[in-house]
Amino acid sequence: MRVPAESLVLALAVGIPWALAAALSLLDGRKRWVGWVAVAGLGATLAALARLAVLVVGGGRVEMTAGGWPEGVGITLRADALGATFALVSVGVIFASLLYEVLGGVRSRTFPALVVFMTAGLTGLFLTGDVFNFYVFFEVSMTAAYVLASYREQDHQVRAAFIFAVINLLGSVVFLIGVAALYHVTGSLDMVTIAERIDPVQPNSVIAIAAAIFVAFSLKLGLFPFHFWLPAVYVGSHPPVAAILSGALANIGSYGLLRFGGGLLPRELEFGSAVVVVLGTASIIYGALQAISRRDTSEVLAYSAIGQAGYVLVALGVGGTVGYAAAVLYAVVNSLNKGLLFLAAGLRGPLVGPAFAVGAFSVAGVPPTAGFLGKVALFESGLASGTVPTSVALVVLIFLGSALSFVYSFQIYQSRFWAPKPDDQGDRGKPSPVAPRVVVVLLAALALAVGLWPEPLLALSETAADILVGGP
Amino acid sequence: MILAVSLAISAIFGSGVFLLLQRDLLRVVVGIVFVSNSAILFIIAAGLSRGDAPIYPLPEGGLLDAGTSDPLVQAMALTAIVISFSTAALLLGLVYRLYAAHRTVDVEDISEAETREAEALEREEEPEREEEPEGKPAEVELEEETR
Repeated sequence: MRVPAESLVLALAVGIPWALAAALSLLDGRKRWVGWVAVAGLGATLAALARLAVLVVGGGRVEMTAGGWPEGVGITLRADALGATFALVSVGVIFASLLYEVLGGVRSRTFPALVVFMTAGLTGLFLTGDVFNFYVFFEVSMTAAYVLASYREQDHQVRAAFIFAVINLLGSVVFLIGVAALYHVTGSLDMVTIAERIDPVQPNSVIAIAAAIFVAFSLKLGLFPFHFWLPAVYVGSHPPVAAILSGALANIGSYGLLRFGGGLLPRELEFGSAVVVVLGTASIIYGALQAISRRDTSEVLAYSAIGQAGYVLVALGVGGTVGYAAAVLYAVVNSLNKGLLFLAAGLRGPLVGPAFAVGAFSVAGVPPTAGFLGKVALFESGLASGTVPTSVALVVLIFLGSALSFVYSFQIYQSRFWAPKPDDQGDRGKPSPVAPRVVVVLLAALALAVGLWPEPLLALSETAADILVGGP
Repeated sequence: MILAVSLAISAIFGSGVFLLLQRDLLRVVVGIVFVSNSAILFIIAAGLSRGDAPIYPLPEGGLLDAGTSDPLVQAMALTAIVISFSTAALLLGLVYRLYAAHRTVDVEDISEAETREAEALEREEEPEREEEPEGKPAEVELEEETR
């Protein structure tokens, strides 16, 4: 299984953004060529990740121990279907957002470097096999996000970035405490070893660790009781930044919950599944109702993000192969939707309307968009969940959530593209440049293509779920 | 020893959280520094063991028998210190940016100042808005939709 060529692809996927980010931070990002170098580097990373995804679906896990240390001593990079899927979709959304910003004109010298730093953190985080490295990569990408949230340096953005940073640092500290506690009870930082050694540990000490880790990732994902920071940050942010935060960074939460909940602490996840499902339900209802009551596009999208995160949580709570596969699939589809919608919301002019409509259809789960796949997977997981009353309740909930998301998607679509209010005219000046609009249309085409040809994504998510069920 | 360390961690964490809830942004930053440092202490506590310094070459008898202290927690603590120090620097930068704009580090004063500025901006912008071309892009989009 360990062929050098495979390890090379893995090393490239993690290494390219690091080297590139270090070089870019010395350059002035406002120059066009610097932006294009960043785009080219991210394109290369994306290609390496796509190759990696094909490798892990075909031949299982790809591993590499850094620095030629013996296994168990050196730091391990480990790519499996779960990590590769999340890395691919996150870097894809970041790539589209960077392309959009470079085509529209970068306004800050640090923007490309920060975006590439975040990519470096995210690829590392999804492809590492070591819990503490997970924390380090996680901090790298979060720190880039704190700075990105204050992009453009408007006062309210700086304040939103400050709140974002403080809340998420608190989450990171809670996660770090969880990591240290995992090390204390198992004596290892390697994910595979932890999963093996966690079983004989006393359940009551592991429950506390699981709760700490759950809280930390829920904060990142913006689930219902931990969502309060999210709308302020997304509303204040520049469209590509909001797309990156919602489409790529939020994936840390979904991935972390799947990896730590499903992979490392499955017993505790099962024990707390009722709590997880209830919190997910609360998120779905709360997010959808708040989204319906708002008028501002980015505010609606922010609350919609809370609701959509709830679906991932419900699927996680159901568990098993079906539930995990639905969670992976829904997280992927959701980040594609959010990237598309946030980018499209920042533009005006021909072709933006249809692209936005595709995204809105996808959030509502109308065929043949990608969102339909996610909803079908959720229905399956709802039916698979144990007893008849819970199945019925879950199916009703998912249906209700979809209906509500249909309402708010078309409310904003209508108010934005069909019936501009008279006092809104100032915002709807001349249409945006063609190039960013083409990016948005391509993303919309991708969302349609995934819906029409779902086999690759289904294969990826099912392989990922099998890995979680069969141990990491 | 366990009791002493856990008391210290909880005291630091508690005072950090107390500072986090203040309105003064500088206190919030100090609160974050406290909270991160309690986590670093927690890491050290997770592998708390007595013994020689884990420096190569190891004393006779190998790692476990000679009672070498756990090197991994020290490496983790160092990394965590670097991370918490850099994020604290970033937060201080953000606070300075807000201070430079508003001459205050109190959250409520800042949001009041922001509201005032936003209102002033709206008053200035309103006359301009009406001069801009009306409705045209909207009509173009409408055509795109009906097609």
